[in-house]
Amino acid sequence: MSTYTLSRGVRPSIKQTHKPGENPWSVSRMAALLVLAVLAVTWLVPFGWAVLTSLKSEADAGASQITLNPPDGFSFEAYRKVLSAGDIPSWAWNSLITSVAITLITVATSALAGYAFSRVNFKGKRLLYAAIIAAIIIPPQLLIVPLFRQMLAFNLVDTYWGIILPQAFAPAMVLILKRFFDQIPVELEDAARVDGAGRLRVFWSVVLPLSRPILAAVAIFVFIGAWNNFLWPFIVTTDADLMTLPVGLQTVKSAYGLQYAQNMASAILAALPLVVVFLFFQRQIIKGIATTGFGGQ
Amino acid sequence: MTADFSRRSLLKTAAALAGGGLLVGCAPGASRSTANLNYWHLLTGGDGTVMAGLVDAVNAANLGFHTTQTVLAWGPPYYTKLAMASAGGRAPDVAIMHASRIAGYAPGGLLEPWDLDLLAEAGLRESDFPARVWEKCQYDGKLYAIALDTHPFVLYYNTEHAEKAGVTEALHTLKSPEEFTEVATKLQKVTGKHGLSYGYLGDGAQMWRLWYTLYKQTGADMTLVPGQPAKVDKDAAVKTLSFVQSLLNDTIASRSGDGGTATSEFLHGESGMFFGGVWELPVLKEAKLPVDAVPIPTMFGTQAAYADSHTFVLPRQSKVSPERRKHVYTMVAELLKRSVKWAGGGHIPAYQPVATSAEYQALKPQSNYAGIPDYVNYDPDVWFSGAGSDFQNYFAENVQNVFLGSGDPAAGFDGFVARLNKLLDRPQPV
Amino acid sequence: MSTAIDTPPATTEEVTAQGKARAKRGETLAGWAFAAPFAVLFGLFLVVPALYGLYLSFTGETLTGAGSGLVGFSNYADALRDPDMWKSLGNTLWFTVLSTVPLIVLSLALALLVNLGLPGRWLWRLSFFLPYLLASTVVVMFWSWMYNPKLGLINAVLDKFGAGPVAWLQDPKVAMISVVITTLWWTIGFNFLLYLAALQNIPEQQFEAAALDGAGKWRQLFSIVIPQLAPTTALLVTLQILASLKVFDQIYMLTNGGPAGTTRSIVQYIYESGFTGYRFGYSSAISYLFFALIVLVSLAQYKLINRRSVA
Repeated sequence: MSTYTLSRGVRPSIKQTHKPGENPWSVSRMAALLVLAVLAVTWLVPFGWAVLTSLKSEADAGASQITLNPPDGFSFEAYRKVLSAGDIPSWAWNSLITSVAITLITVATSALAGYAFSRVNFKGKRLLYAAIIAAIIIPPQLLIVPLFRQMLAFNLVDTYWGIILPQAFAPAMVLILKRFFDQIPVELEDAARVDGAGRLRVFWSVVLPLSRPILAAVAIFVFIGAWNNFLWPFIVTTDADLMTLPVGLQTVKSAYGLQYAQNMASAILAALPLVVVFLFFQRQIIKGIATTGFGGQ
Repeated sequence: MTADFSRRSLLKTAAALAGGGLLVGCAPGASRSTANLNYWHLLTGGDGTVMAGLVDAVNAANLGFHTTQTVLAWGPPYYTKLAMASAGGRAPDVAIMHASRIAGYAPGGLLEPWDLDLLAEAGLRESDFPARVWEKCQYDGKLYAIALDTHPFVLYYNTEHAEKAGVTEALHTLKSPEEFTEVATKLQKVTGKHGLSYGYLGDGAQMWRLWYTLYKQTGADMTLVPGQPAKVDKDAAVKTLSFVQSLLNDTIASRSGDGGTATSEFLHGESGMFFGGVWELPVLKEAKLPVDAVPIPTMFGTQAAYADSHTFVLPRQSKVSPERRKHVYTMVAELLKRSVKWAGGGHIPAYQPVATSAEYQALKPQSNYAGIPDYVNYDPDVWFSGAGSDFQNYFAENVQNVFLGSGDPAAGFDGFVARLNKLLDRPQPV
Repeated sequence: MSTAIDTPPATTEEVTAQGKARAKRGETLAGWAFAAPFAVLFGLFLVVPALYGLYLSFTGETLTGAGSGLVGFSNYADALRDPDMWKSLGNTLWFTVLSTVPLIVLSLALALLVNLGLPGRWLWRLSFFLPYLLASTVVVMFWSWMYNPKLGLINAVLDKFGAGPVAWLQDPKVAMISVVITTLWWTIGFNFLLYLAALQNIPEQQFEAAALDGAGKWRQLFSIVIPQLAPTTALLVTLQILASLKVFDQIYMLTNGGPAGTTRSIVQYIYESGFTGYRFGYSSAISYLFFALIVLVSLAQYKLINRRSVA
């Protein structure tokens, strides 16, 4: 669940901002470039160090000498061991199933509800709207105890639906989509209505196609949030077979103690899916954050 | 637009996948078939490796079932998850639990009792376990745990230093705190650094283990019953706290030793004695230290030793498969029969046929303290005590200053008891 | 829809009134049909637990289902008297203070640097933003490895400079700072992006005008850029504070609230009271006290921001 705000539409690409006539290679700019490079490298270090560790042998990884050139050389042995143990693939699968389901359900329900708020005047609309606004303030962290108790009652602890359902709706997304739909000229729909199309048909064939960008953005953010979510899946799963990737990695330990190379290999494997998502959907993600403040924790 | 279209169809395919996956995977874990047992424990490191080996051995025996172990982090993470799994959901078929924690699980119905007949069928009887250990595994007249081991807190000493100081015999026969102090002082003269290593700083468990042993040696009791104030012997407590305080004077032992530095000190021969759990044995032996281990000498009158036990428990399951249950009994019996390997880690096997076997008796120094289960002292029976609970933290909060020399024993102990009383005042949540 | 023969013909007014009513009903039906899927999930999994939690807070219910009778306000009274609760709350507030300032200032600095239009911009954007997409578990795995007192990168580097090893996660004096540093690394990308977007919205003319007036780069920074960024800053501070109050993941996983409860956040205390300590009723009471705090903070921020924009 995320908060949001609307600012003017903005293209997130970086314009040339050095002033005309200004020397792009001046000392001050070079200094700035140096500082930026150092900061960027610093920011990449935790990631890079994890990768380096994961490629070392277990003995080298656990040695107190920190080295870039370990005696045993580099290999994918740690990755091989981690993958063959079978935990990570099964957790990743759980994450995939639940995240996709959460995304689909959230996008569908938010679009439908957002459309209702935008176009339809129905009894109780104001009440529901107020409830949604109020709900945005409620942090999900506060509901873990009553929700767990409910899941016990519904017999949904340690099930996929138990993980999915409490995450399958997003009040903030309803509002975002409502505002988007508000901007679509009503005339477009009226044309279809005149032809005798029912509300649902109009929604499906007129409004949705026009909303592809925002729907895609919503889908991406919901997916990322669902994939990375820790607290609720942590609470509702006790069976290691059911755990999502973040939860499994944190909860289940190795009987053989800390194997540092394998640990880092697991971390890198867990990070990869979303890194890939980012590389594919970079523009949408950045645009989404910049324009609507999506993803504000 | 093609990009958007392909994204749309991507979503559609994902929908199909997810839909199919949900239908198929609504109950993942084909591992829930009859022949696969889920076994939870919290053992890692050396212990974990031995346990994994034992499980592999039982699996290799092909007795009609396969055991999959899941390891969770020691302490609150493990126990919280175990409670939640038992409350609802898919609890493991069998789990390890410290004996001292049973009082926090059995009353609330989070555990199921062991069936004595089925145990007999698997070859396990009451006579196969030490009396006090068997008793601790009971609640309300039913058996809730089968003990794997007893792991007490003991006294290690450097045999070479002891020889030089001429205290080897005294270590086995001393009968008073003064004699102990004397031995420690003699050892300090030999090493030139400290006579005793005791790593307790920031570790409530370590503080509790030593002090509770001495407290029980005085013959005192600590009875904690919810709804009533704690019944303790303050004089005995103050006497024993003061004694420990007197040892931590930077001559006999470092005033502010933590676990790491204390172990390191003893390992490097810079001290003659070391208070530690039996689980520290593998590290000491690996360093090829000339070491022996004995129960903490009875300085205050009665034989006593703090210990805990790893036990097997049956977490509550909403749907019990009788066939899987039977396999669990067999599995536990098989693990117990092989528990002489477990003794390699320093633990005392609870299963008597192993504990009395020649193979175990040949293990030194483990067999030196093998008699402890006869007079073992577990944490007081109450829902908030036990390994990995806050109980030992409360002790640390009030007593660390006493050990550091800045706090008054009586005041420290009063603080501890007050904390206990606050908890006892509350209705028992189990 | 035609009426049957024996009903009298309706007047135009009645027809339009009836038509309107029917249309209204149709609207309502349609509206709820569309909103229902969301409303059902929302009701079942947010409204119901919220209300149920409130009810729970007045009972002594436990994890095992025992003690479900009403106990009045005693949970709330206990919570207000509970030193651990206050400590956790204090830790959370301290975390909020420690993390908010660097997260705002540093992200602005990064955005300013990147906005200079220097070459390699995709690399800068990637470096600073990538951590934001990682799961908390992964972030903690990276950082607890670096914080390892004997084998970690940070202490090894310090050692090269002759500085002593620091017990990053075990020393009570340092533990919270370690948590803040990790949080900084993890979440700065979001603030950075927002600032970057806002910077690009500042009209070119403002800079030209200032340059004509002879204002140097730094003057421009303080008199144009920062004021223009005020709405973004306000938004970020708001989001930051609310997010920090709700912190759980990284603290639970890095230090488990230790050493000795010096980093435990209030959400972790809620978790521990309920699931480790079994006390569902008590835990719910603390949740509601915390919720009251969140509402207060949100209201205060709302007032402050409103006043600013009116002025």
